[in-house]
Amino acid sequence: MFGWSGSVLRVDLTKGAVTREATDIALAHTYLGARGFGGQIIRDEVAPDTDPLSPANKIVFAPGPLTGTFAPSAGRYEVVTKAPLNNVIAASNSGGAFGPELKFAGYDALIVEGKAAKPVYLWIRNDEVEVRDAAAIWGHDTPDTTDLVRAETDEDAKVACIGPAGEHLSPIANIMNEMHRAAGRSGVGAVMGSKNLKAIAVFGTGAVKVADPERFRAAVMKARKMIQEHPVGGAGLKAYGTDVLVNILNQTGALPTRNFQDGYFPTADKTGGESLAAKQLVRPKGCFSCVISCGRVTKVDNPAYKGFGEGPEYETTWAFGADCGIDDLDAITKANYHCNAYGIDTISLGSTIACAMELFERGIITTKDTDGVQLTFGNVAAMVEMTRKSCTGEGFGAKLAQGSYRLAESYGHPEFSMTVKKQEMPAYDPRGVQGIGLNYATGNRGGCHVRGYTIAIEVLQNGAVMDPRVTEGKAGLDITFQDLTAALDSSGACLFSTFGIGAPELAEMLSAATGVEYSVDEFMKIGERIWNQERLWNLKQGYTTADDTLPERLLKEPIKTGPAKGNVNRLGEMLPEYYQLRGWDEKGVPAKAKLKELALN
Amino acid sequence: MTVKYFATIRTYTGETERRVEDAPADLRELVTALAGRYGTSFRRAVFSDDELNGEIIILVNGRNVLYLQGLDTPLKADDEVSIFPMVAGG
Repeated sequence: MFGWSGSVLRVDLTKGAVTREATDIALAHTYLGARGFGGQIIRDEVAPDTDPLSPANKIVFAPGPLTGTFAPSAGRYEVVTKAPLNNVIAASNSGGAFGPELKFAGYDALIVEGKAAKPVYLWIRNDEVEVRDAAAIWGHDTPDTTDLVRAETDEDAKVACIGPAGEHLSPIANIMNEMHRAAGRSGVGAVMGSKNLKAIAVFGTGAVKVADPERFRAAVMKARKMIQEHPVGGAGLKAYGTDVLVNILNQTGALPTRNFQDGYFPTADKTGGESLAAKQLVRPKGCFSCVISCGRVTKVDNPAYKGFGEGPEYETTWAFGADCGIDDLDAITKANYHCNAYGIDTISLGSTIACAMELFERGIITTKDTDGVQLTFGNVAAMVEMTRKSCTGEGFGAKLAQGSYRLAESYGHPEFSMTVKKQEMPAYDPRGVQGIGLNYATGNRGGCHVRGYTIAIEVLQNGAVMDPRVTEGKAGLDITFQDLTAALDSSGACLFSTFGIGAPELAEMLSAATGVEYSVDEFMKIGERIWNQERLWNLKQGYTTADDTLPERLLKEPIKTGPAKGNVNRLGEMLPEYYQLRGWDEKGVPAKAKLKELALN
Repeated sequence: MTVKYFATIRTYTGETERRVEDAPADLRELVTALAGRYGTSFRRAVFSDDELNGEIIILVNGRNVLYLQGLDTPLKADDEVSIFPMVAGG
């Protein structure tokens, strides 16, 4: 077997049983790996009505067939499970080196099921697998956990773990690997916590074999060259990181500000990638086999927020910055460090604090709710302190750690939660960029930018251009991006490789690596299959067309200031066409003909 | 009018923004004058054979000039012009 490793590792924590199975090659051909492969395992093995935090839920750690090869930026894996946040198939993507290490150890997927009676961690060294006691590690933050687990296993082991937020079962808890890379969204960390699984350490001595080494080498070198010669993949992301987006989104008028009450933040430049590079950047950093190096190793010297770590990324800067009315980059970076250490999603938490700030300013909550804190927009110290409390679960932080939907709903005002399907939207205002609004509304895991990044075309002029203010053509654009991304995620490549290459290069690398010929059409069809697979799951969870929408604010309240002043999102002009082009009926249900075409049941 | 520079463009201009008095009639006139001030690196970033370089993003009041009239976009005294290299992230 080439590209794929050929084995799936299954650990039943209830029984303490470890088994190995041959990779279902038909499933691998049909879904590639990672997101698609893991999603199908969840569909096949987890009953739709399963409580996500019960032992009956399963959690899959799956790299893709390109993961661990020297394909450009092919260091990704996905954590796939039923999401505690909103019951969708959570497929949370992370980089670093954990995914490749799983391949080197010989696995296309690790399936964890059941629940341990007490805290444990997994130690995987090739085919030697142990369930080890984690009593002394439970309660530690993610850097300490990583160090402790490495000390007990191998200093070169790659460690994915949860922090206290996952232990507390926060539905926005994440999983951190190599201390600084996050499988961030949908609350996957809480599933580990519910299973008493603190960490997974893996060390492999194998390699990923490819079917046609010469063809693969040629395809990889071509792809690497294309990325390196691209102005973004080759230079821009390394120089400024993802945070470079702050200014272009703000100057476009689509930087959500003060919980999406506005789309323009006058002092945003103080938080942009240019400022970060000047003030905090120690060096850029790449994941396994990366040719881009968008990661930021940073330090903050300001005594009030002193620290060292990685990030923040653009979405994080926005969430704790403009969305909270804050332009203090040192404070934002400190909040980011807290989140990484305690294992909580920065997008969801930042947006939740912004939501709480609006609730406070509207008088819906008071200092009696907020532990005496004046939780107003722009209050820097309050933002950092509430982030810390959310991480530890202290006081009002315990409510914030439930995410903005549960928070706002508990006070009778869910309309102030800026979420789609209960998941917080990221840093692009759909009133200023129409197509991303359709992507949020139709997102299978709720508010999300990395499932259909139309910003690349609508704002960033990457390869093609479409006016962000128009709705015409956006349904087709969204579908193309959603399908391409689903296939790419499942291959094990990084989304950022598309700042340089596209489906033809990915299909060629996959074909050379696996020995299975994938045309561009077949590659895109796999993406479409995965998108529909996730949709079918959502329908079983009770989601309907009524959930394919945006917060009412974005449909009815125009942006107040800045370049996109006066605009709302015109979702109604795009959604019917989206269903039609998807081959779904007016209720958003895939037609039988579409399911047959995609070989889906 | 105000002209704002971002990312690598700042390394060519040595400043983050410039107030331009006596507003030029259109974008071509503006960036030609700016290229005269900032020199070859800036000119190469903005122009390709006297047309807009495909790797530059210029916004006038938040609108990409590709959706306005490109280099022929008329300018007014109170306009804000933003000049970016291609950037990305997410």
